[in-house]
Amino acid sequence: MNPPYYPVSDFGPMMKGMVIGGLGIVHVFLAMFAIGGGLLMCYFQWLAQTGRSPNARRFVDGYFKALVLISFVVGAVTGVAMWFVSIQVSPRTIGMMVEEFHWVWGIEWTFFSLEITAGYCFYRCSARLPDRDRLLLLGIYSAASWFSLFWINGILTWQLTPGDWSRTREVWSGFFNPGFLPSLLFRTVTAMTVASLAACVVINTMADLDRAARKALINKAAHFLFPMAAMPFLSAWYFGTMPEDSRRMVFGGSIVMTLFMGLATGASLLIGLYAGFALLLKRLYINGATATLLVALSFAATAGGEFVREGVRKPYTVREALYSTSVAPEEVTRLRAEGCVARDPYPLRDAANYPNDQVRLGAKVFRFHCNVCHTMDGANALRHLAGDWTPVQRRMNIAQLQRTKTFMPPFSGTPEELEALVRLIEWATAGRPREWPVSTDREDWPEGRRRIRAWLDEAGVAPGFLKPGERR
Amino acid sequence: MDAPFPSGLPFPTAAYLVLYLVTLWVHIAFMNYVLAGSATLAAGLVVGGRAAKEHPICALLRDWMPFMLSAAITAGIAPLLFLQVLYKEQFYTANLLLFFRWMAILPALILGFYLGYLLKKEPAPGRGRGGRIALGIAVFACFAFVGWSWVENHLLSVQPEECWKEHYVSGAHLYASPELLPRLLLWFVAGFPTMALMVGWQLWDRGRRGKGDPADGARAGSAIGLAGVVVSALWAWRYFYLLSDAAQKIVSGPAGRLYLLLSIAGGAIELVAFAALLRRGRWSPGWLALGSAGLVANFVGTGVMNETIRLVTLDGTVGLPLLFARHAASWKVAGFPVFLFFLALNVGLMAFCVRRVRRLPN
Repeated sequence: MNPPYYPVSDFGPMMKGMVIGGLGIVHVFLAMFAIGGGLLMCYFQWLAQTGRSPNARRFVDGYFKALVLISFVVGAVTGVAMWFVSIQVSPRTIGMMVEEFHWVWGIEWTFFSLEITAGYCFYRCSARLPDRDRLLLLGIYSAASWFSLFWINGILTWQLTPGDWSRTREVWSGFFNPGFLPSLLFRTVTAMTVASLAACVVINTMADLDRAARKALINKAAHFLFPMAAMPFLSAWYFGTMPEDSRRMVFGGSIVMTLFMGLATGASLLIGLYAGFALLLKRLYINGATATLLVALSFAATAGGEFVREGVRKPYTVREALYSTSVAPEEVTRLRAEGCVARDPYPLRDAANYPNDQVRLGAKVFRFHCNVCHTMDGANALRHLAGDWTPVQRRMNIAQLQRTKTFMPPFSGTPEELEALVRLIEWATAGRPREWPVSTDREDWPEGRRRIRAWLDEAGVAPGFLKPGERR
Repeated sequence: MDAPFPSGLPFPTAAYLVLYLVTLWVHIAFMNYVLAGSATLAAGLVVGGRAAKEHPICALLRDWMPFMLSAAITAGIAPLLFLQVLYKEQFYTANLLLFFRWMAILPALILGFYLGYLLKKEPAPGRGRGGRIALGIAVFACFAFVGWSWVENHLLSVQPEECWKEHYVSGAHLYASPELLPRLLLWFVAGFPTMALMVGWQLWDRGRRGKGDPADGARAGSAIGLAGVVVSALWAWRYFYLLSDAAQKIVSGPAGRLYLLLSIAGGAIELVAFAALLRRGRWSPGWLALGSAGLVANFVGTGVMNETIRLVTLDGTVGLPLLFARHAASWKVAGFPVFLFFLALNVGLMAFCVRRVRRLPN
C-alpha cells in the first residue's frame, strides 16, 4: 500500500510542531480550567448550602461567568482549531485517529454537548435556582466535563502506549491502554490545581469583600491543591508505562525533552511548595499578583508537560503504526525501492527557483519526508543541523537516520532521492547559487549510489531504538 | 446512484450519511440562527435606530446570540467528525489547500462571540450610534466570513485532482468558483426562515410564561420568514441551472426527485405557516409547529440532495467503489452501540437540565 499524498502546507520559518504545540498548550490549559473549575464549583456550592462558607455562593456565580466567557467558546474553538491544525501538520495521523476512534470521539461530543447545556442552564438561571438544583446542575456540568477528558485521554495516550491494540487492532484495547489511567489521574489533579489557582485570581477581583472574607475563600479554594501531593507518584506511574526509548529521551536522551521536563517539574514543584507551606500549612492570604504568577507557573508546567508528551512519541505519531513522516512501518521497504515521491501528484510551488531537476527532486523529498518537523532555514532547520557535516557524513547520517538519532524515523526513499535531498541541503548551505552541478551525472555516482544503498540496508527499516536482536 | 437515498447505497455509507445529516441539521438550525440573526441585528441597527434596538426580535437576538453561537460550534463538532469519516481525503485536501485562509475562521468565530457580548451590553450614555452599527456589522461579517469559508471549502473538496494540483501550484489561498457566490447566497437567505421559526418559538414561549405578549414581533418575524422562503425558493431555482449537467440530472432523476419534492413541499408548508402567522399577528404554537414540520422536510430534502450531488461528483473523480470500501472498513471499528448508548443518555440529561430550569418561577 502507498501512503496517501496530500498537498503540503508550509508555515515559513516556524516548524509545524511549534504551531500545533502552541495551540495545543492553550487548549489543554483551558480544558483543564473548565474541568477543574466544574469540580471546584461543586465543592463551593456544597460549602454554601451547608453553611460552611457565607460567600461561597457569590464566588460560584463570579467564577462561572469567567468560565463561560473564556472556556465555552475559546475552549471549544481551540479544540476545533486543534483538529484543523492537525490536518495541516499531518493529515494521515489525524485521519488514522478519526478512523480508529470516531465512535469514541462521538461519545466525547455527547459529553461536551451535555457540559455546554448544563453550563448554560446554570449560567442563565443560577440566580433563581434553589441550592439543590444549583448543585445538581453543577454536578452534571462537572461530571460531563470530566468525562470529556476521560474519552479524549484514551485517544491521546493510545498514540504513545497503544498496548494490545498494536497486535489486535481492537478499539477498546487501544483505548484502555497502559498509559490511560495514570494519565487520567494526573490530568485530573492538574485540572484541580489550575482551577484552584484561577480561583485565587477570581477571588481577588471580588472587591466588595473585605480581606478576611477573601482569605477565607482562598483557604477553601486551596483545598483543591492537596491532591498535588500525589503528582510525583502519578508521574512515576505514567513514566513506568512509557516505552523505554521514550523514557530515555526524557531522562537525558534528548536534551530538549529533558529541559522541558525540567521546566514542567520545576514549575510544578514551585507551585506545590507554595501551596503546601503558604496556603495549606500557614493559611496565608494570597494577593492577585501572586495568584496570577502562580497561574502563569501552572501554564508553564502544562506547556512543559504537553511538549514532552508530544515529543517522546518520536519517531512515531502513533506508536508502531505511523512514523512522524506519515509513513507506516510496513511501507518503508517499498518506498525505498519505488521512491517516496514518485507518486506524489503535487508539483513544487517554487520549481523555477531551483537550479536543476535533482535539487527539485530534493525539495520534493524534503517536503514529503522532513517538512513535518523541520524547516530549511528557520526553526529546526536542516541547513543548521546538517549543513556543516562532511559530504560523506551527510549521506551516511541521512541513510542511517534512525541510528543518527533514535527519535528519527528511517529514511523512506531511494538512493537517488537521498542524494537529491543531500544536494538540496548543500545548495541551500552554499547560499542557493543559480548554477549547481548535478551529482548523479558524475562518473563516480554508481559507486556513490552503491554506498548509499549499503548504508540504507545496514540501517534496515526498523526504528533505531531497537536492539539488534529485536530488529525484524 | 439511480435509486433514492438510502437505497442503492451500501449500509455503512448510508449509516454514516444518516448520522452526518442528522447532526448537520442540528448544527444548521443553530448556525442559521446566528447568521440570519446577526444579519437581522445589523440591518436593524442600520435602518431602524432606537426603534429597532427595542424591537422584541432584536432584543431577543442580542440576548441569545452568544449562546446560539456556542451551541452552533458544539453541534458542529459531530458533523465535522462524520464528514471526515465519509470524505476524509477530499476534506483534508481542501483544508490544506486553503490553509491560512481556512484557519482564519477560528479567530473570526472568537471575535464574533466577544463582539456579540459587546452588542448585548447597554452602550454607555452618549456613545454614538455609529459605533453600535459598526459593531453589529462586524458581528455579522465574522459569521458571514465563516459561511463563505465553508462554502469555498466544500466546492474545492469536490474538485478533481487536476484542479487541486493547479490550485496548489498557484499558492492561492482563495478558491474562486462561479458557484461560490450563488451557493453562499442560497445558504444565507435560507437561514432566515429557520431563524424566524426559532425566534417565533422563543417569543411564543415568553408570552406563554407571562414574560411578554404573544404578539411580540409576530408580524415582523413571520414577514422575515415569509420573505426568506420566497427568496430562497426563487434563488434555489436559479441555482439549479448553475449546477453541472450530471448534478441537474441526479436532482431531477429518480435518485433525487423524491427529495426535491420533499424540499419543495417543506418550503410550501413553511410558506403557508408564515402567511397564517402574519395574518393573525400573533405567535401560535399550531402554526409554528406546522412551519417547523415544513422546515424539517425542507432540511431533509435539501440535505439529501446535496449529498447525492456530492456522491455523483466524487464518482467522477475518486470513484464510488473506493469510497464505499473505505466506509465499510470504518464501520468495522467497534464502538457504535456505546456511542448510541451515551448519545441517548446525554440527550436525556440535556433535556433534564433544560426542564429543570424551565419550571422555575419568573
